[in-house]
Amino acid sequence: MQYLLIIYGDETFNSTTADMQEITAAHMRLGAELQEKGAMVGGNRLRPSDTATTIRTVGGVQSLHDGPYAETREQLAGYYLVEAPDLDAAIAWGKKIPGGPNYAVEVRPVWQM
Amino acid sequence: MQAERLLGETVRDAGDRIRAALAIRFRDLDMAEEAFAFASLRAVETWGRDGPPRDPAAWLYAVGRRRAFDLGRRAKVREAAVHDAPEPTPDPEAILVAAFEPIPDERLRLIFVCCHPALAPEARIALTLRTLCGLSVERLARAWLTTEAAMLQRLTRARRKIRDTRIRFEIPEPAAWGERLEAVLATLEIAYAQAYEDAGGASETADLAGETLRLSGLLCDLLPQEPEVLGLAAMIRLAESRRPARLDAGGAMVPLSEQDVALWDSRLIAEAAGLLRRAAALGRSGPYQLMAAIHAAHATRRETGATAWGDIATLYDYLLSVRPSPVAQVNRAVAVAEARGADAGLAALAAIEGPARLADWLPYQAARAGLCAKAGRAAEAADALRCALALGPAPAERLFLARRLGELSA
Repeated sequence: MQYLLIIYGDETFNSTTADMQEITAAHMRLGAELQEKGAMVGGNRLRPSDTATTIRTVGGVQSLHDGPYAETREQLAGYYLVEAPDLDAAIAWGKKIPGGPNYAVEVRPVWQM
Repeated sequence: MQAERLLGETVRDAGDRIRAALAIRFRDLDMAEEAFAFASLRAVETWGRDGPPRDPAAWLYAVGRRRAFDLGRRAKVREAAVHDAPEPTPDPEAILVAAFEPIPDERLRLIFVCCHPALAPEARIALTLRTLCGLSVERLARAWLTTEAAMLQRLTRARRKIRDTRIRFEIPEPAAWGERLEAVLATLEIAYAQAYEDAGGASETADLAGETLRLSGLLCDLLPQEPEVLGLAAMIRLAESRRPARLDAGGAMVPLSEQDVALWDSRLIAEAAGLLRRAAALGRSGPYQLMAAIHAAHATRRETGATAWGDIATLYDYLLSVRPSPVAQVNRAVAVAEARGADAGLAALAAIEGPARLADWLPYQAARAGLCAKAGRAAEAADALRCALALGPAPAERLFLARRLGELSA
């Protein structure tokens, strides 16, 4: 079954170049491990939330807005889409996702068609 | 009626085993309950008519299994149905009788499933009590002071999450063991804490306390080599031992140090002592053992007539080093005051890094009141009492605080 691992981070947090390099390297290692175990379905880093555009539909009427859906401190930073046999396996992958000192990973099962 | 009484005994002795075996075998908590209920009804009919079976528990399990299998088959048939599919014919129970399986013990697996950290704590305990212990939705709703509809929704959501996120019906792997066991223990601790809140022990919450106590004991049977499991069971027993002494005739709270030790349940205290000895022999300390040890230290007032406050303060130091919490810090300050004087206690109280504003926190104000009174600072004590009363204490504690305020103002 597939699970989406959604990464939320605090964009205001200033990480050093060295920190970012370490996090990036950790992502590369995780990606490789996922591939090796046949668990990798997809994954991407997203550009910061100020590059977002939101299409809102309210009462059936669409409008465009500059910025992300929610103006929260934590913003969507990226995701992994993994294949895993059960929730604990998906959580185990989720725990390996690197980040700064404060961030979150949401684990959501994908609706099987 | 004979059949009903036999059923009652069988369910009491083996109900949790049968329920767990059905739930795990069919990987479906809902269906297992239905199947068990069906088997129970059939038991009353059949045992009344034909006399009791040789092995009532095995009988219930066999009939439950058959029913669950049928329910599952019907569901698949319904899902796959293009044309009308015939209803499966039920086998006569005589055939089942010949095919008795021993009931596998899946209780631990079921506890781990129901207490998965992906589920909210209130959902975990409700699901465990419903699925393993067979408590009715109505009884659970009363214990949590909520409606049946709300409790049913809580249970349904939890079952749905287990199914939709695919939580495995297995004992956790070694790598996840610590975290998963911690979730089970925390579930029981939170459930007991809720029951403990109501010192009056209105029947619903006394019920909940009893069920949590029983569950903690079952865990000790299932995981005898886990010292924290033993520690939690000891802690719950010690806390529960004081229930008869916690309220006075007027319904006011009686603080621990003033309780009549003759009212404490000595059987529970002895059980707890045994559990703590077994835990200590396993040589791995932890927060639940430490909390139990603190309760046990209080309980020695029964033997010695005095409370070993110095020991208790030290135990709180250890506890805070592994499980920091504002409540433990408050309790430590009280112990320090008793052991080293009110000023030392007040200093410890002032140093607490508590939730947002200490002044708005009931345990802090209640403790401050006691320590100021002890230090002879009556005006400050009265002020703290007024603050505490304004923070909405439970009825029993309210009566106690109001009386203290009355005494100080007199």
